[in-house]
Amino acid sequence: MRVFGRGEGGGSADGIGARSESEYEALRRRCEERLRELEATEPLKQVHLPSLLRSEGMSRRTFLKWASATTALLFLPASFEKLVARAAAVMNRVPVIWVEYQDCAGNSEAILRADGPTIDELLLDVISLEYHETLMAPSGFQAEAQLEDALQAFRGKYILIVEGSIPTEGGFGFNGPRGESFLENLKRLSRDALAVIAVGSCASYGGIPAAYPNPTKAMGVWDIVKGKPIVNIPACPMNPANLIGVVLHYVLTGTLPELDYLLRPKFAFGYRIHDNCERRAHFDAGEYVEQWGDEGARNNFCLYKMGCKGPMTFNNCSIIRYNDGTNWPIGVGRGCIGCSEPGFWDKYAYERPMAGANIPVPGLWNMGIERSVDLLGVGLLTAAGAGIAIHAFLSAKYGKKSDEGAPGAPPKEKS
Amino acid sequence: MNGEASGTIVRVTRMPKSWRIFHWVNFLAVFAAVVTGIYIARPYYQAMIAEPAVRKFVMGWNRAIHLYAAITIDVLCVVSFYLYFLSRFERPVRKLLPTREHGREFFEVLANFFTFNRRKRFDSAELDTFNAAWFTLLHLLLLFQLFTGLQLYVYSLESGLSSVGGWWPWLMHVATDWTYWAFGGRMGVRWVHHFTMYLLLAWIAFHVYYEIWRTVYWREGDIAIAFGGEKIARRLPGTAAE
Ligand code: SF4
Ligand code: SF4
Repeated sequence: MRVFGRGEGGGSADGIGARSESEYEALRRRCEERLRELEATEPLKQVHLPSLLRSEGMSRRTFLKWASATTALLFLPASFEKLVARAAAVMNRVPVIWVEYQDCAGNSEAILRADGPTIDELLLDVISLEYHETLMAPSGFQAEAQLEDALQAFRGKYILIVEGSIPTEGGFGFNGPRGESFLENLKRLSRDALAVIAVGSCASYGGIPAAYPNPTKAMGVWDIVKGKPIVNIPACPMNPANLIGVVLHYVLTGTLPELDYLLRPKFAFGYRIHDNCERRAHFDAGEYVEQWGDEGARNNFCLYKMGCKGPMTFNNCSIIRYNDGTNWPIGVGRGCIGCSEPGFWDKYAYERPMAGANIPVPGLWNMGIERSVDLLGVGLLTAAGAGIAIHAFLSAKYGKKSDEGAPGAPPKEKS
Repeated sequence: MNGEASGTIVRVTRMPKSWRIFHWVNFLAVFAAVVTGIYIARPYYQAMIAEPAVRKFVMGWNRAIHLYAAITIDVLCVVSFYLYFLSRFERPVRKLLPTREHGREFFEVLANFFTFNRRKRFDSAELDTFNAAWFTLLHLLLLFQLFTGLQLYVYSLESGLSSVGGWWPWLMHVATDWTYWAFGGRMGVRWVHHFTMYLLLAWIAFHVYYEIWRTVYWREGDIAIAFGGEKIARRLPGTAAE
């Protein structure tokens, strides 16, 4: 629970706020009505989910397992499973425009299912992606025309997904055949969007392009887009399950999920890595990996001293993991680098003991955010010690002066 | 002042028993918080206990002691601020009022310290302005540790629940979320919390040295205050505060 912060007033919707039986019942009715409406509309894209699943060799059982996991992900009771499964099939009714700015395309990559797609990744095939430069066949003016069509046809109805940070320094980052700057492009496309979803840390907070010294003055979507509902799904890359969760939430309820103070959906970012980490017992016990490959590493000890930032990081990768629940960073024996936190590259991403990192960051005399504490602190203590020693020496040597006259008789203690 | 005159020398009570208890409890708590805080920042010893991880809580104990110490310091801080204003013994806040007299006294003490003098043109039977300011600085540093420390602590109660009820994390957020923005996020808060420990250590170093120096120089037994609660004061004819 956050009391104040940037999240408030960000224009987010109320989300799934149900707590009691009757509230869930009301929510269920609302969702059913919404799904009926959507099912009656024309799909924007002809995909038949059951056949798509079949063609990928996935059984209905696998799909239902996914639906039950996703229901739990969204904090909904099991009675919503059927609704979630129905919502997945009508995701092709929601128009989505996906733009990519200053980034490594890692988030697109994350949904590209290089090998054995997960259902979350498959569902991104179901979503009606009206425009996605990296994935679409047309290019240049042809792509531009398609974008224009989509903007006209779905004015006020499309979800704008932004990947990558936005350079605000002139001369960096241009889009399309007319060479429109990323900044202008984002402003133009967000104007008529229903909501903007920033995927990945770059789009959320500037990410790696915004790392010190940030030559392009890169920023996140929320620094630029005002007066629109914004959802941040940070991490490097974001977990496709979380994007599907947000879109599915919208399809199911017609609202965006509840957000935290950094505009991240609470269903995904309400967890601290450290609190759901399989190595946590070793942390509390004081058993740490001291060096890569040491005895502790072989025994899956806690990675805190190898720089794990799990205690400072909020994300659900410790629970849902990556690649269909296969594994996650700490599971394979390396610390969390806090990739879903603002400023993660400067402040979190080093494999050093928490207090011993030495990466240059601004404002701290380039000494490293953590190491500088001890350097400064020990320096200060040394200075204090030296000052005391010098003063004591000078006092002993020169301190004979007194204008009290001759010292009085030694004090006589009275009882 | 409750003292007995003996010529120009008076014996004065400077710290009632309760103040002395607060002083030493505060010292022990700060000491414990420093030792355990360093462990939390950088665990400097391995738990070499032949017990399964789930049964030995080396980091767990360090964190627990750190928090117990923090609670003790915080409570004492609150008590101190109360005593600043409403103590029946002496109200240090009076000495903090920016009057000319106080300014003069402040620099008199400092001048003594830097010119190796024992000139005292003020009443040393009372709390002097310099020490009043110096102790206030300590309490402000401790208060700062309270805000930044609780901000670091409240992450583990992200659910908004706690064993004493939801009001506690709520209160911590209300009271400390400003530090998150002021210091640029959690890492910044961690940084200043850690760094302020060094300021506190430097504060202690100066405090101890100053009291010893003052004892040697002024020959008023100041160092005894923290133990027996009393010292003696030499009064110049005509300057004694009646
Ligand atoms: S490995 Fe990281 S997240 Fe896991 S217990 Fe250790 S510090 Fe926490
Ligand atoms: S463990 Fe940490 S660094 Fe790795 S993906 Fe999760 S939040 Fe990002």
